[in-house]
Amino acid sequence: MSAAVGVVAEARERLAARARREGLAAVGYDTVDSPVGPLWIALGPKGVAGIHFGSGPSEGELRRLIRLYGPGIVPDRRTTAPLARELDEYFEGKRRDFDLDVDMAGLTPFHVRVLRALRRIPYGALTTYQRVARQAGNEKAPRAAGRAVGANPIPIVVPCHRVIASDGTLGGYGGGLDTKRRLLALERGEVPSGGWLKRDQVN
Amino acid sequence: MVTDAARTFGELLERHEREIFAYALRLTGSRADAEDLYQDTFLAAFRAWPPPRRDNERAWLYRIATNKAIDGSRRRRATVSIEDLRLAAPDRDGITVVDVANAVRRLPAGQRAAFVLRAVEGRPYREIAQALDCSEEAARARVSEALKKVKVAVR
Repeated sequence: MSAAVGVVAEARERLAARARREGLAAVGYDTVDSPVGPLWIALGPKGVAGIHFGSGPSEGELRRLIRLYGPGIVPDRRTTAPLARELDEYFEGKRRDFDLDVDMAGLTPFHVRVLRALRRIPYGALTTYQRVARQAGNEKAPRAAGRAVGANPIPIVVPCHRVIASDGTLGGYGGGLDTKRRLLALERGEVPSGGWLKRDQVN
Repeated sequence: MVTDAARTFGELLERHEREIFAYALRLTGSRADAEDLYQDTFLAAFRAWPPPRRDNERAWLYRIATNKAIDGSRRRRATVSIEDLRLAAPDRDGITVVDVANAVRRLPAGQRAAFVLRAVEGRPYREIAQALDCSEEAARARVSEALKKVKVAVR
């Protein structure tokens, strides 16, 4: 059975390459293993188009990609390889920043500003929803900023895990709090069980 | 039950690619030719997008694959490898896979598809008719003719 699956997977890779050459496929996707479980990753013409915790995209993410790129969304390991490599290096502690561009097409201007603010948070640093709202130009809307952070279609590469609540507790995370804790532990070492109760650690 | 058609090429592949590859392998008898047929089938489907409703999506792919196989076999003499056919038709009643392979190889492409769909994959005639793009009566006739020829050949 697994041999048959391997044969089909090889055939599929060559099919994806032909579809790409013919201009039929715009976005390639794959599921990769990581220390925080399987990740569904997608790379399109403008860069990283999506990352989802699990082996498939969320319905919302898939709809956004279809709206932007039509049906040409194919399983394509060769296209996603650069992203898989950068993620591996990140999880091995060998990479602090991602070089690939991020595809924010189709998002609202506020959402884009929030995600750009998130991209500026240095490796290992922490910030708050309030601060993200301010950097996104809407200081009075920390809840809206929180929702935009929560709806980040490209977690890890756009490091929404570095945003915590103003009281120093971990806040929420689309991939689950355990995943957030593991990502922060990778970047900062130990994570206190209740989060960072001293506000001065949040910068 | 009528369900949604695939919205992306990826969804179509994930739902049907293994089955279509297995069908291609049985039709062509070699892994290399099966891979070509699998690729040609899905590329044709991508170009002809969108697919019909999901319930017809599978029949649509079978029809494309069957037509591509028939076109392909017109261009080159089809070969059936013994190893691949062993999966498709196990030995029984003293008839070896070599006998069956030889008989299947001599069938015209349309009858070979009919034989594989019915005798190997056990498909209902409704699906065979859809795959061969003909009426159910015509599908029955083709299967019957193919079976008769294979039986005569291996006797």
